[in-house]
Amino acid sequence: MRTALALIANVLLSAAILAQPTPPLPNRPDSVKFAAIGDNGTGGRPQYDVAQQMVKARAVFPFDFVIMLGDNMYGGQTPADFVKKFEQPYAALLTAGVKFQASLGNHDQAENINYKLYNMNGQRYYSYARGNVRLFVLDSNQMDQKQLAWIDTSLRDAREDWKICYFHHPLYSNADRHGASVDLRVLLEPIFVKHGVNVVFSGHDHVYERIKPQKGIYYFVSGAAGQLRRGNMSPTAETAAYFDQDQSFMLVEIAGSELHFRSISRAGKTVDSGVIPRQPKTGATGLTEDSHAAEVRR
Amino acid sequence: MTPWRTAVPRLSRFAVEHLLLLPLGALIALVWVNTRPESYFTFAYAIAFAVNDVAMVFFFALIAKEVVEATAPNGVLHPWRRALLPVVASIGAATVPALIHIQVVDALDEPMLAEAWPVALAVDLAVTYFVARVIFRRHPIIPFLLLLGIASDALGILALAMVSPAIDVRVMAGALIFAAAIATAVGLRRARVKSFWPYLIAAGGLSWYAFFYSGLHPALALVPIMPFLPHAARDPGFFVDAPPEAKDTLSRFELWWKYPAQIALFFFGLVNAGVPFGALEAGTWGLPIAVIVGKPVGVLIGAGAAMLIGLHLPSRVTWRDLTIGGLIVAVGFSVGLFFTSALLPPGQLRSEMYMGVLLSLAAAPLAVVAAKIMGVGRLAPE
Repeated sequence: MRTALALIANVLLSAAILAQPTPPLPNRPDSVKFAAIGDNGTGGRPQYDVAQQMVKARAVFPFDFVIMLGDNMYGGQTPADFVKKFEQPYAALLTAGVKFQASLGNHDQAENINYKLYNMNGQRYYSYARGNVRLFVLDSNQMDQKQLAWIDTSLRDAREDWKICYFHHPLYSNADRHGASVDLRVLLEPIFVKHGVNVVFSGHDHVYERIKPQKGIYYFVSGAAGQLRRGNMSPTAETAAYFDQDQSFMLVEIAGSELHFRSISRAGKTVDSGVIPRQPKTGATGLTEDSHAAEVRR
Repeated sequence: MTPWRTAVPRLSRFAVEHLLLLPLGALIALVWVNTRPESYFTFAYAIAFAVNDVAMVFFFALIAKEVVEATAPNGVLHPWRRALLPVVASIGAATVPALIHIQVVDALDEPMLAEAWPVALAVDLAVTYFVARVIFRRHPIIPFLLLLGIASDALGILALAMVSPAIDVRVMAGALIFAAAIATAVGLRRARVKSFWPYLIAAGGLSWYAFFYSGLHPALALVPIMPFLPHAARDPGFFVDAPPEAKDTLSRFELWWKYPAQIALFFFGLVNAGVPFGALEAGTWGLPIAVIVGKPVGVLIGAGAAMLIGLHLPSRVTWRDLTIGGLIVAVGFSVGLFFTSALLPPGQLRSEMYMGVLLSLAAAPLAVVAAKIMGVGRLAPE
């Protein structure tokens, strides 16, 4: 009888764990927690599904901001579109006080920098800090000299432990549709390397891809929070992990000298995860992957 | 059947090499960037300033020289009243494609490309002249199209100065330096200086610095200086080589600088036309659609408006000729690439506009085919 009760209790406990929408990250109270979405603003069912997964994830992993990797809005960009493609899908997060910090993609209107809920304060490129992390947001649609000088100076002057950059066009990508924006890589990578950028997030290709560290920097492509190009990846030796079968978004936690990441599909499945230790100045890397990472390799 | 030797019009070496070297540079750039992108962009960025902002000064100076000579007796701009109709028509030829461009890129879901609308105003004068001669041989519409092209490019340059996001205008100081450049050129002209070097170094140098300092594109720095260089009493014709024995200052300038300008043009194509095919999205089609549809419509509307205010079409120029002419001036090529490089910094938008400029070259064969179908010019079926 006691064994049977223990078995039932065990089954119930397992079921409860399985029902949890997202396996938790370290979830430390004093850590910096955020989500990342790219190419999300379709207003379609998949965007709403991903948004729902984000709400579920936040119930166990209380991230307080979301980085938007561009193409935040497709098609019409009227006030009604902002409701349908942004305010409605993320209503629960917005109500809970989650801040969205946007970058612009090639489908966004330039005037969207003034949209209050994107928190861009009328700027194409800007930076902000959370705890020991400084995030730098760039406008990769137009990489003018002024912006290059700004990122060079801002990275140089940043005193936080972690330097994270994000923008729309990926410097490294192995998706077939677009691939890497080498024109931008030639301009930005030397600056990132010089100033010890730790991690870079981009969108544009409608897949998820984690790139092996390049010159000491970790790159993520996460451009499938609304759009999807199923089967569009052609992984190369640069590819550490990828997922191109469904929409996805990312959860990120920076706890001390470690960055934990988790990529989650529209169905709520973890498709990649791991831990990035903060790189020493030499640029050496020491990523440890969780078991989920193996699942996404073909 | 017209023998090919007579079917292909004679042009100056400058114009011919313009028509060959720029596409050659562009072709090499396209192959290079799509096979070894990192080395291409490292190279292109390293020499971009030297090519786009310095060497191209001489290309635009030589184009300006053609325009200055056209104001002399025998020239298409002489007397100036002849220019009125094409100038008025150019407003239509500029406005309609610009408006179409803004609408089309929005419909193609790349609204940020709208800010590059001045590229829709660009007209490549050498291509215009060449294609117009192929279709019309000798016809009053040819000077009409050249004038329209010059006016449209001038409007484009004005638009560039107004909307360029790269401009960090320091107007007053820049204007003062520019005034000093013009005063120097006037002084040299009054002192009857025959050598082009003082104009180039003193006036041109000041003008280049004024443009650069003001945030305007310095490649255009010699354009306002060229009218002060003494020129021949009569225009030898558009894109006609200056004879080696020519003594006037403008011709000496051309003889000295035509080869460096051609090399500049080759490198201009090489540096600017490197478009990775992966960067392209639907918005790329915005410019070709805008100019191929909008230029003929704009020319017709512009010419119609000019006639409403009492101006007259040149004799023997019909509405069908104007329609074909509108297609011919849809090719922006060298000027389109230049406007794009001046307006948009590196990134996807620039790549898409560059490719749009290259795709709008299709207007030239389209004009030839349309002329054949519509029975216009010498390509009309006998």
